[in-house]
Amino acid sequence: MISLKNVSKWYGGFKVLSGCTTEVKKGDVVVVCGPSGSGKSTLIKCVNGLEPFQQGEITVDGISVGDPKTDLPRLRSRIGMVFQNFELFPHMTVTSNLTLAQVKVLGRSLDQATSKGLGLLERVGLTAHKDKYPGQLSGGQQQRVAIARALAMDPIAMLFDEPTSALDPEMINEVLDVMVALAKEGMTMMVVTHEMGFARKVAHRVIFMDGGEIIEDAAKDEFFGKPRSERAQQFLSKILQH
Amino acid sequence: MDSGFDFDVIQRSLPYLFKEGMTFTVTLTLLAMTGGIVFGTLLAMMRLSSVKPVSVLAGGYVNLMRSIPLVLVIFWFFFLVPYIGAWILREPNPVRVGTFWSALITFTMFEAAYYCEIMRAGIQSIPRGQVWSGYALGLNYWQTMAQIVLPQAFRNMLPVLLTQTIILFQDTSLVYVISATDFLGAASKIANRDYRLVEMYTFVAVVYFVISYGLSVLVKHLQERVAVIK
Amino acid sequence: MNYNWHWKVLLETEPGGTGTYLNYLIVGLGWTLATALAAWVIALAIGTLVGTLRTTPMKWAVRAGNLYVEIFRNVPLIVQMFLWFFVVPELLPRALGDWIKQMPPPWGSYVPAVLCLGIFTSVRVAEQVRAGIQSLPRGQRMAGTAMGLTQAQTYRYIILPQSFRIILPPLTSEFMNVIKNSSVALTIGLLELTGRARAMQEFSFRVFEAFATATVIYLLTNLVVVLLMRALEQKVRVPGLIAAGGAPQAGH
Repeated sequence: MISLKNVSKWYGGFKVLSGCTTEVKKGDVVVVCGPSGSGKSTLIKCVNGLEPFQQGEITVDGISVGDPKTDLPRLRSRIGMVFQNFELFPHMTVTSNLTLAQVKVLGRSLDQATSKGLGLLERVGLTAHKDKYPGQLSGGQQQRVAIARALAMDPIAMLFDEPTSALDPEMINEVLDVMVALAKEGMTMMVVTHEMGFARKVAHRVIFMDGGEIIEDAAKDEFFGKPRSERAQQFLSKILQH
Repeated sequence: MDSGFDFDVIQRSLPYLFKEGMTFTVTLTLLAMTGGIVFGTLLAMMRLSSVKPVSVLAGGYVNLMRSIPLVLVIFWFFFLVPYIGAWILREPNPVRVGTFWSALITFTMFEAAYYCEIMRAGIQSIPRGQVWSGYALGLNYWQTMAQIVLPQAFRNMLPVLLTQTIILFQDTSLVYVISATDFLGAASKIANRDYRLVEMYTFVAVVYFVISYGLSVLVKHLQERVAVIK
Repeated sequence: MNYNWHWKVLLETEPGGTGTYLNYLIVGLGWTLATALAAWVIALAIGTLVGTLRTTPMKWAVRAGNLYVEIFRNVPLIVQMFLWFFVVPELLPRALGDWIKQMPPPWGSYVPAVLCLGIFTSVRVAEQVRAGIQSLPRGQRMAGTAMGLTQAQTYRYIILPQSFRIILPPLTSEFMNVIKNSSVALTIGLLELTGRARAMQEFSFRVFEAFATATVIYLLTNLVVVLLMRALEQKVRVPGLIAAGGAPQAGH
């Protein structure tokens, strides 16, 4: 579904990604972890073309992301993305947030879009808030709406960029529960996160990054049982302490 | 002073001053504000564009307008617009353009440079994540700007935009230099005809003061209300 | 466009016989700068005073300052010019008013223009000074008082020196505004640069040559002012003290 081949990226003279190669097959849930500055956020933003990359190839469902001829907006409409800071549109109601892209990009009628949006809102348990503004919701609620907003586009894959890092601890679980349910339904997911509990529950593979490189790319049990690299071991020991 | 302050001349000329003069001033202000904000927002987007020639062109225009006196710009457009009109309409000779249209084009083009800087700051104050989430949903650049960035930027900069409009309102009085009949121009005509300069100019100053001060108080209230909502 | 350019007009003699048109315009620049500088001195003096007063704890001073600012901020510059030129001489005692009205040109136009522009600009300076003072951490004032300095000394030695460095960039643009605003004085007969460009246009019929030359002269003047101000900023720079960036302000 998603394939990265030898992807490298520079910010000016500084190399942020080095020769990253990996694959996410349909239905896979892949967790990307690593210390800050390892390039994991940058990598995931390259997958849907939000960040350009200078070298290598990324294909999603057979379409090349780096090809200048690719219709990026159309491709992006088929990939869902959830951001660390939720990024709901503060000047629009929850319902409008859900319907905007459906109407403007997919060409659905407002009624279709609204009923689809409200259906997803119910799945994440927030129907009561449909007419509220994002500013009136808690962080956890906003993130769940953000997930619903991405799902409303019927994506073939979902990208998550540290979805719980900006949340207070008591709200992390409500968001993780939604993500676990999504994984169990067979959604192809690529998740940048520190939440190892989530990884252990539903991930198929875990990728460990450091300094812009993919250091480890192993099946879940292998990664948690006996990671091969020294750096991955160090990282795991620090993070699994709580 | 020879005779006392002649309130009568003010009272007699009220209809002329307001129906002719103030209408000109207010119409010019409102139309130039609208055109200026639209053109200014476009200029702001051009300045922020990653296409070098576009941003340089817009930047050059804005800096030029902000570097020369408004009086000079008024003269420029007063003489230039007839030539441009001729070029557009393919006439051999400069087209006659009234003072109102000349003034309207002048103030729209001039104030756009100032509205541009305001909107540019407004656009830049919107977090990048908003743009990303728009793109991530599949919206293109124009949709993202129109639906997500500009509505928020506009709302954030509303008090500054309104303050700039109050300044525009005061600036329109400079059409005096092309003998237009705005509020000041109308008062000036009466002043010279009836030899009552003190009364008329004092009255003009008072009226401008009341309107400008009143509007600035309204803007301050608006600012406070918006701050509470946020 | 059907316009025949004739740049040589700049070398032709102007009707008054004082020299070439180019010379005529440059003398206009001289008047522009003379007006701007004199007005700037007044603006700095009054503006600093008013701006500082508005930051003191004395309620009457703050209110007086606010009143001053509101009055001169809400009347257009050209209207203020007319008031100074036509109305003020009438309101003064007979003798003084007559003496003013008899001042020969160009002084009859120059003096009211300088006073008007000076006071008009002092309001903008007052706002900058006030903002600069208020941007200082409150601890600065307290530290001064704690050492035993009077309020006046605190302002003189601690607050004002810092605020001025902070507001140097916005003050630069205020000075450039004074130069631009001096053009409004043509309405009361002062023959500064824009006024002379207009006169040149009327006498020679060379519309665009006249205004284009004036435009270039203004742009070059701006450039010189910016470079001078940058040199000044470097000279008074204190390492580690960052100047105010400046939120988008409305205005010219």
